[in-house]
Parts: sequence; C-alpha cells; structure tokens
Amino acid sequence: MKKAALTFTAVLILVLDAIADNGEYAVSGIPPALLKNADAVLRVEELRFEILSTKEAIQNYHYVITILNDNADKWAEFSEYYDKLREVSSVQGYLYDAAGNQLKKMKMKDLEDISGVEDISLMDDSRVKRHNFYCKNYPYTVEYNVEIRYRHTLFFPAWRPQGGERISVEKSRVTIVCPEDYQFRYKTFHYTGEPVITTENKKRSSAWAVTNMPAITREIYQPPLRDVTTGIIFGPTGFQLGDYKGNMQSWQDFGKFIYALKQGRDALPPNIKSVVHELSDSIRDEKKKIRVLYEYMQKNTRYISIQLGIGGWQPFDANSVATKSYGDCKALSNYMYSILKEAGIRSSYTMVIAGRNANGITEDFPSQQFNHVILFVPMKEDTMWLECTSQTIPAGYLGGFTANRYALAVDETGGTLVRTPKYGLKENLQLKKINAVLGEDAALHVKVQSTYDAMQQDELHMLINGLSREKLKEYLHDQLDFATYDISSFNYEQNKSSLPAIDESLDITVSNYATITGKRIFVVPNILTRLHSKLPADTERKYDIEQGFEYRDIDTVEIEIPKGYGPEAMPQDIATAGKFGKYTCSVRLKDNRLIYYRSFEQYEGRFPAKDYNDMVKFYETVYKADRNKVVLIKNESQLKEN
Amino acid sequence: MKRKLLIPACICLAQLTGYGQEKSGVSFGKVTPEDFKPAVYSIDSNASAVIIADIGSTEIEGNSKGWFSLEHKHYRRTRILNKNGYDAADVTIPLYTNGEGGEEELEVLKATTYNLENGRVVETKLDVKNSLFRDKINKNFVRKKFTFPALKEGSIIEYEYQVKSDFLFNLQPWEFQGAWPCLWSEYKVTIPEFISYVFLLQGYQAPVKERKDTRRSFTVQDNSGVNATSKFTFSAGVSTYRWVMKNVPVLKEESFTSTLRNHISKIEFQLAEYREPLLSERKIKTWEQFTEELLEADDFGAALDEDNYWVSELAGTILHGETGELDKARRIYTFVRDNFTCTGYNDVLLTAPLKNIAKSRKGNVAEINLLLVALLRYAGLSSDPVMLSTRDHGYTYADYPLLDKFNYVIVRTEADEEEYYLDASQPWLGFGKLGYECYNGHARVINPDATPVEFSADSLLEKSLTSAFVTSDDNGNFSGTIQQTPGYYESSRLRSLIKEKGMDHFFAEIKKGFSGDVQLSDNYVDSMNQYDDPVNIRYKFELKTGGGDIIYFNPMLTEGYKENPFKSTTRLYPVEMPYATDETYLLQVEVPGGYEVDELPKETVVKLNENNDGIFEYRISENNGIISLRSRLRISHTFFLPDEYATLREFFDLVMKKHNEQIVFKKKK
Repeated sequence: MKKAALTFTAVLILVLDAIADNGEYAVSGIPPALLKNADAVLRVEELRFEILSTKEAIQNYHYVITILNDNADKWAEFSEYYDKLREVSSVQGYLYDAAGNQLKKMKMKDLEDISGVEDISLMDDSRVKRHNFYCKNYPYTVEYNVEIRYRHTLFFPAWRPQGGERISVEKSRVTIVCPEDYQFRYKTFHYTGEPVITTENKKRSSAWAVTNMPAITREIYQPPLRDVTTGIIFGPTGFQLGDYKGNMQSWQDFGKFIYALKQGRDALPPNIKSVVHELSDSIRDEKKKIRVLYEYMQKNTRYISIQLGIGGWQPFDANSVATKSYGDCKALSNYMYSILKEAGIRSSYTMVIAGRNANGITEDFPSQQFNHVILFVPMKEDTMWLECTSQTIPAGYLGGFTANRYALAVDETGGTLVRTPKYGLKENLQLKKINAVLGEDAALHVKVQSTYDAMQQDELHMLINGLSREKLKEYLHDQLDFATYDISSFNYEQNKSSLPAIDESLDITVSNYATITGKRIFVVPNILTRLHSKLPADTERKYDIEQGFEYRDIDTVEIEIPKGYGPEAMPQDIATAGKFGKYTCSVRLKDNRLIYYRSFEQYEGRFPAKDYNDMVKFYETVYKADRNKVVLIKNESQLKEN
Repeated sequence: MKRKLLIPACICLAQLTGYGQEKSGVSFGKVTPEDFKPAVYSIDSNASAVIIADIGSTEIEGNSKGWFSLEHKHYRRTRILNKNGYDAADVTIPLYTNGEGGEEELEVLKATTYNLENGRVVETKLDVKNSLFRDKINKNFVRKKFTFPALKEGSIIEYEYQVKSDFLFNLQPWEFQGAWPCLWSEYKVTIPEFISYVFLLQGYQAPVKERKDTRRSFTVQDNSGVNATSKFTFSAGVSTYRWVMKNVPVLKEESFTSTLRNHISKIEFQLAEYREPLLSERKIKTWEQFTEELLEADDFGAALDEDNYWVSELAGTILHGETGELDKARRIYTFVRDNFTCTGYNDVLLTAPLKNIAKSRKGNVAEINLLLVALLRYAGLSSDPVMLSTRDHGYTYADYPLLDKFNYVIVRTEADEEEYYLDASQPWLGFGKLGYECYNGHARVINPDATPVEFSADSLLEKSLTSAFVTSDDNGNFSGTIQQTPGYYESSRLRSLIKEKGMDHFFAEIKKGFSGDVQLSDNYVDSMNQYDDPVNIRYKFELKTGGGDIIYFNPMLTEGYKENPFKSTTRLYPVEMPYATDETYLLQVEVPGGYEVDELPKETVVKLNENNDGIFEYRISENNGIISLRSRLRISHTFFLPDEYATLREFFDLVMKKHNEQIVFKKKK
C-alpha cells in the first residue's frame, strides 16, 4: 500500500522588510532560560498569509534562527517545494556570526533547484528550492525571507513555532490577512487568548503571537507534537482549486468539493462493463459479489503514482485505469467505485490519513488533512472497506495503515466522517507452538507452527507477497535473533478473510543455541519471542504516555533435552499485570522435556505521565524474564561428586 | 591473491564453443500464445520476471554537424511472472546532456504489453505522447521514464528505442548481468577504422565474441557554416563486434562485498583514437598526459598554484604565523575539515572556482581537497591531489587512465620529510587518516610523474584492546573496572553515535549488554574530539548475582561475538573485508570468598587456515583465587575466495561458541 502525494507539510511564513542591523541577532541577546535544553533558538518568526481571492494567496515568511551547535544544523537549511500550484517567488537569506554581524547574504540565483520526485512516484511535478550557508562556527544565525504564491486556496499553512524538540522560541507571530468580507477558520492548540484583529483598506488582519517558549525535549511514547506545544491550524470557507470551487465550513461541504472533482469520471469501457456483469450477476450474496469484483480489480491493476498539477487531487478517470491497468490511490479507488456502481452497489470514495503511526485528523476542524483514498461500502447490515492500492490484501480488511481512525466518506450529498474498523486485543493474536530438540553439541533443532492474526500479520503479509522466496529467506535470516543458524524449510499459508490470518511453519537448526561449559548446559527456553528492548528510566516524565496497537502473544514451547542431564537451576514463574499489559511465564521439566509457557498482552491507550515508572518496571520484568536460563547438569558427574 | 580485472582468463570455457551466427530468435511484435507457456524458467525458478532477450547495438554514422554520431538501439523483451516482477515494467532511459543545450535524443520509442486472453494474444501499446515523462536530475543527466500499460501476472512486455548521441565518448556500455535473470543478452558494436575504442570487459562469466570486417561509405554534412552546406562522402573499413551471453543469472549482494559492480558481467568502451581520414588524434592518454591535462584544467588543477588574494587571506587567518611544517599542515587540515561541508562524495572535478568554494564553505570531495592542496602549497608544503575510486565505486584500471573510473580525491602532502595522506571532506577523520572506503587498490597522484600508489585493505589494521579487572565479595557480587580502546573506525562510529544519541544512551546500551542485575558508574569516554586517535572508554560496574550455591559468570562480560558475521551458507564471489583486525580481551576476576571454581571454559588456539590468515587464542587459568582470561582474534588478510568461505564461517562460529562459555563457581562445603 502506498500513499498518494496528497501530503503537504505544514509550512511556515512571513513579513518584515527590515533587515537586521549589526548586533540585533547577537547570541548574547538570548534570554538564558531559552538556552536550556536548546540546540537552536527561533529568534523571530513572522508568518503572514494573505488570501487575495479564492483563487490565490500569498505567503510571506520571515524567520531568524540561531544555531547553537551542530545538532541543530538541520534547522539552518532552507528548503521549499514548488509545483504548478505553488511558486517560490522570492527568497533572501543572511548569515550572522555570534555577535550578530552579517557575514554573508544570498539571493534567488544562489538557490539550488532539485527534482522532488519521490521514490514511490513514477512522475510528479514537484521540485525543491534549497539553500544552505554551511556555516560551522557555532553559534551562528541565519535569516530567511521567503515569498510563496499559492494558485489555490484549498489549504492554508499551519503555525507551529516549535517545530520539534530542543528548539526554543523567542518570538513568533502569525497573521492571516483576507478581504473584509471573507471568513477563514482556525483552531488553536495550547494557545490562550484571542487574536488581535485590525482592519485597513478593506482587509482584515488577525494575528496571534507567542514569546519566550523554552525548548522541549522528546520523551519516548509521547503524544504528537500538536498535543504538547502551541499551534494553530487554519482553513478556508470558500476556496478554489483550478476551476473547481468549494466551501470548507463543514465536512459535508468539503465532501461536495471532492465529489465534484471526481464526478463524471466513472464511465467504464464496454468490455469492462461486460466483465463486471459476467463476474457478478449470478452472485446473490452482496459481500461475495464485492469480494469477486475487488479481486478482479486487484488482479488487473497495479499502483503507479503520477501526480501532475490538479492530478495530485483529481483521480484519473475509470476509463484510463481500465486501459492502462494502473493508477494511484485516487484513480484505483474511483475505478473500484465505478465497477461496483456498474454492479449496482453503492460505495463511497473515502479520504483518510494513512500510516501505521499516523496521528489521525483533527476531526472537529474540516480541512484538507488527508493523504490517501480508500473505498467504503455501506451495506444494509454491515459495512465493507476496500484498500484499492494493494493487489494482495483480502477484501474487507484495512490493516494498521488505515485502521481505527476518522475518514471522510464522500458521495453526491457531500462528506460524512466515518470511523474505520478497529482491530484490538482479541483480533491481533499471535500463537506459537514450538517443538525443539537440544543436542549434546548445544545445537537446537526447532519446529515452529505460528499463526498471526489481523494487524499481527500486516508486515508479514507485505513480505510474503512482496518478496521472492529467496529474499524472504534472507529477511528471516536477518530477523531471527540467533548467532549461526540455517532455515531448512519455511512455509506460509494465507487465510484471506476480512480478518486475515497467516500460518507459518519454520524448521530451523541453530548451532550453539545453548551454552555448554563442561558438565553444564545453559539454555533459554524462550526461543523466539524475547522482548527486544527496555525503556529508559525517567524520573521527570512530563508528557502523557501514548501506547498504540493492542495485541496478545501466546507461546507454548517444548524442548527435548539431551539424555543424562538434570536441572540444576530453574527460573521462577513470573506473573505481572497492569494498565500497560499483562505477562506470565513458567517453565517445568517433565521427563526429558522442558515445557515453557508464555503469554504477553499489550494494551493501547493514553496514560498519565506519573505511570511511566510502572511502565518501565513492567517491560523490565518482561525483558528479564524472557532471558531467564535453565541450567542443566550432567547426572553422572553429580553422582560422582556426591 | 590478486583480483582479475580484465578477465580473458576467466572465460567460462563451456561457452567458448560459441553461438556462431546463432540468433536470439526474438523480434519486436512477434509474440505467440506459445510464448506464454512457461510458468517458471529453469534459469531461476524463483524469478518474478525473466528477460527473454536483451539486445543492443551501437553504430557510428556521419551527421549533419560536420562530425559523427552514435546511434544506439536497445530492444528488450521481458516476461513478468508475478507481481513482484512489476518493477521490471518501469523503464528509465538515461540521456546525457552537456549543459549547453546539447542533449542525446531519444528518437524512436515503442513499447507494447502482450497478454494472453482466451488463447489469443492481446496487445496494448504505450501511449508515448502522454505517458513518457522527463525528469532532469542534474546538469549532465536527464532521465525519461515510462511504465507499461495493461500489466498482469504473466504479461510479456517489449520495448525498443533509439538514442542518437553527438558525444562520441559516450558509447553505451552493456551489462549482461542485472536485476533479473536473462536468457539472451547480446550487444553489437560497429566501429569504423578511423575511430578506435578500448574495450573493457569484466565478470566471472564472459560473453562469446565474434568479429566481422566489411567496408561501407560514410557521409558527413555540415549545415552549420555561414556558407552553403558542405558534404563529404568517403568509404572506410568497419568492424562489427558481437557479444552474446546466454542464461545469465542474477548476482546477489552479500556482506563484505566492495560492490557488485566489480563482479557483474559487463563491457564498457573508452574512446581511444581518431585515425585517417580524420585528423589523427590519440584520445586515450598515457598516465602522464592524463595528469598533465588535469593539472592544466580549469576544473581541476589550474587554480592550485595561483597566488590569489583569497588564498593568502584565508591562509593568513589559519596559520597565524606558524612556521613548523607539520604544525602548518595540521592547522590547515583541521581548518578545512572543520569549516567546510562536503556536499558530494562522488566527484573528481571542480564545479565552481576554488575561490567560490572558499567563500561558500561547501563543496564536493574534489573541491574540498583541492582547496586543501592550494592552501598547503601556499604554506610551502609540497602537496598533490591523489585520485582514487572508493570501494563502493569499483576497481580502477592501472593500465588505462580513465577519468570516470575515479570518484574521489584525497591529498598527499609532505611535512618534516614525512609523507601524509589527508582527506578533509570527512568531518570525523584525523590528520593522516583515510576512511577504509579509500583502501581499494590502485590510485594515482596527480603530479607530472603520475605516480601510482596502492592502498591495500590488508595494510589497514583495526586493532582493539579491552581489559577488565573484577573483584568480588563473599555474597557473590562482583565489581569491576573496564577499559577499552576500540579500533580507529569503531571509534569513529562510536563518536558519531555518542554525538547523535548522547553519552547516557551509549552507556545504557553497554549496560544492556550485561546479563543480570548490573549498575554502571564513573562512565567516561576519552578522546571524543581527538580524531587522530581512537577513543578510550572507561567505566565501573557492580554485578549482583544474589549468591546462592552456584554462580554462573560470563567471563566476556559485554564483549565477544554474539553472531556470526557470515550468515549465508554459501558464497559465489569473493569476501572482501574492509581491513585486517586484531581484537584482544583481557580479564582478571577474583573467585568469590567462600566459593571455588567448579568449571572453567577450556583453553584453545585455532588457526583459520594454513596461511595463517587468522588465528584465535583463548587462554584461561586460575591461580591463587584469581582467574585470568586472554582472548585474541586476529584476521590479517582481507580477501577470501568463494571456496574459502565455509572455513571462514566455521572459524567465526567457533569463536562465538567459545565467547559464550561461562565460568561456574560453587559454594565451598
């Protein structure tokens, strides 16, 4: 699954013709509190966005940033993309030393101009203007003045002075200017107070500002940036993209616009129409009908991204997908929509923000926040979701890429927010049954039968469908945590239901799995599912903890041990449970077999910062228990010594 | 062991019987239902796509600009077996552009997808007008891209294009071996007697070659003059060379490989000479001519000796009146390294005058190191640029001075009668050090003598020492001090890790390496910013075992091999390690009071092979309640042939096994 080029990085902006006098940006002028935990200080930021008409807007962005050390070099680089709808019309830049003396300046012609075509894309028209003073004498300060012209008003820049961790802000201001009779919309995050509004020459300006924001430091599992620092997102009411006009006051209105973009692009050529009827007319069950048609679409198309001009927003028509057999998420979803329509099934073209770790949209603020399109099929008693860019995913399953979040379903009446399905603890199950034989040479011969359900199978699904057998074996080789081993056989069976499962059988020989020292053998009974990492302890946790993805793993392991050995030390049973998860494990020696059982559950949710140490403890316990060793000793020698 | 660069000797004999005039039997548009029959191809049963035929040709023709052009044709038919082979349907055609309006022209392009539907072959043609895209990558490189329509599992796709080039030096190379297995790969080059090229052939399997000589006529027109068009026709001998390779497998990238480019089957061409009736001109040079031209070129050496104000100004701010040769060299090197940013590590020429580089504080590796030469010379130090090819760029030919075989420039300087090689483009390098990527064999000093130099990986030694002193108490708790000096390159890696993630993170990772309940203290890393030397790591640890009747103690603590660096069970081409290694680990540990040693790992000494290319020593003993361990692993050779691979893998397996053994202490009764 790949996403379309709908993403637009929130870009900053603004004004100010005044060029700094020597000394204005001296590092000595930075309030000491802003140096704490900071690699960079945003000295001045002015983002001014003026809506000239619904056809065009102009963004002026002026910023001055002091780079305190080389960790902050990334903030010193100027980089803006441009395409047919967005022009970088002017750029000036200046470099200052620590005392605030101007060392260098740059003009438009000094900009580098590079191709912005992304790897996943066959072609798009984006290019990038870039500049860097490459200063290495820290601290230093760069200043840029940028003007960007928008040939649309579909979305506005966002304001978020603190663009990441370890950067503090001296002063930052955003101003939105528009004709007196125009209404724009906004939503603030961590901002108190009302904008300063002034009206002059029939233009209304609204300004928001902050001063002296100390640097923040990232914490593991913290909520997204928008939830921890000040920001405002803006959106239009009336807007225009090319010849298409729209209104963004409600999701319904925005949906109308999206619908208009795709309206009339659903005509199928006659040969495809007849295929649709041939395949589906005789099927009664609606779900089955959808599945058959979806599988036909999967088999006869592939994902190719071409984003040119308005084509970044408007799908290729169904007819061109039918002839070329390829398209991006928009084109393929629209194609599937057209196929279902031909079969008499209503569906909705649905916009979503994709990505396993995507933070989801701000659902109470209608605006262009999406980067992907899927298809939603409402039925009488049920619903079905179709990811049209994958040729292998089962009908009705979405996976972690788009599951459990708000999406905008679009039809002729406009847009409606709907929620994609959630896969939880019950669904995301991994079962492993392991039978192993430990040789006296410390080698372990392992037979594994595993089942991965729902989101636990997402990655594996991509691998087994996307890699040749050879590459898959290489992947397994990298993945398994053993020193030297050979995979003698491996096999996968896919159960392609709307709650998919993959059965895996592995046959592995691990040389030196156990450690033998004279008469003893040390062996870890958890062969395959040791927790990978521990969390760092932190006594001053500030932010809430966000843990995503619920799942459950259950392992049953039997290891036959070499004859003549008995237990010298056996790990204790462990059981621990809390709000972050639940874990139990135990190991017994029964005849000449070690029987190991492990169950692990991870819960999703947002937890208060004060719980962090419990979280650390929980994972620490699991990490240790997963590595506990059984010590076996040769019986004869014991006898002899006694 | 020497690597074979030009491989006539490596020719796979079985293929020498040749294909004579045998043809691929494949041509554009002739696709039958039969062609869809194979579900797998015996050449590679795992293949997702197979190239049925890959056929190219290049001819030289007179043009209308008073000179000659190359006409390159490329035809390829591919069978797509499953979805993972869809990448084979994305086609990129690279075109050279000289940055002054001259650009190779894509003259003809045809592409068709064939699918078998109800026993019938259905064609879908590429809509060239709307589906061919142009993406400008840089000033010398444009790519045209398209993807095939109507692609399905099982499709056959074909394309054919022709590129006309006015750049005679750019006679297209041919790769017989690529990302997909290929049943038939053929390249035909027709060269008139008045132009000659050097052929450079490489690979572990070689194509069969034929040659045919004929005569033909050439017509050259000149429409560019102010006067009437002039036109010449003459006849000349031409030689047609044809190389064919059948059933070419895919070469897989493994660990410890310089680059696959060194190993695939491939032919390249180098413009060597113009002959009668053209004005005779040798285009391929001697090494001395090669360096002389470079030294005079505006985009290389011309500015090196200019006594410009900017050099004196810059040098003045660096030297501050320093007079000692070595001190001057160090100052200049450190200044350039610390104040300039390298923006490209694959360059041998200047893209801007040195003066601008000095001003903009950035440049590619050639620019930065040529600036270094200029400054060193200004300071009176005899210095020259050295051109080389990094490991990932492939080998260079000691016999032919070919500029595009090089991708990197370093500096040789002399100070206090010692010779030093410098590279100011890598911010982490010390004075007199080079990255291991530079140790790739033959390199050339760009001086009038074109002095050859050899950077061999065998000569580079990565040496590390770790020592641990551990005491214990009567409760089975251990406390110890660890001192570690990693090798030079490992030190560089650690420096950047610590810089990026912080010291705490670094020691937290070390802590994770211990098994059991452990606390670290007095953490210290020395020489963090002294790039000439390795770092020095020191810390103390407290390890609680909780006592009990038996204590298991891992004597390697956090050290030792935990996985075998050689994962694959077999290997098809040589192992090329970046450097030789010598790793020593020393431990002294006190037997806890009230305990005695129940088991000690056995001592062992193992040689990798009879040539003494590697040795592993593991010595352990107990004396007066103190256990001493010494583990030393030395690999003094960096190049191993495929048939030595199994031995190498087993050797590391043994090291690892030994490194995992435990000491067992038992409570005295």
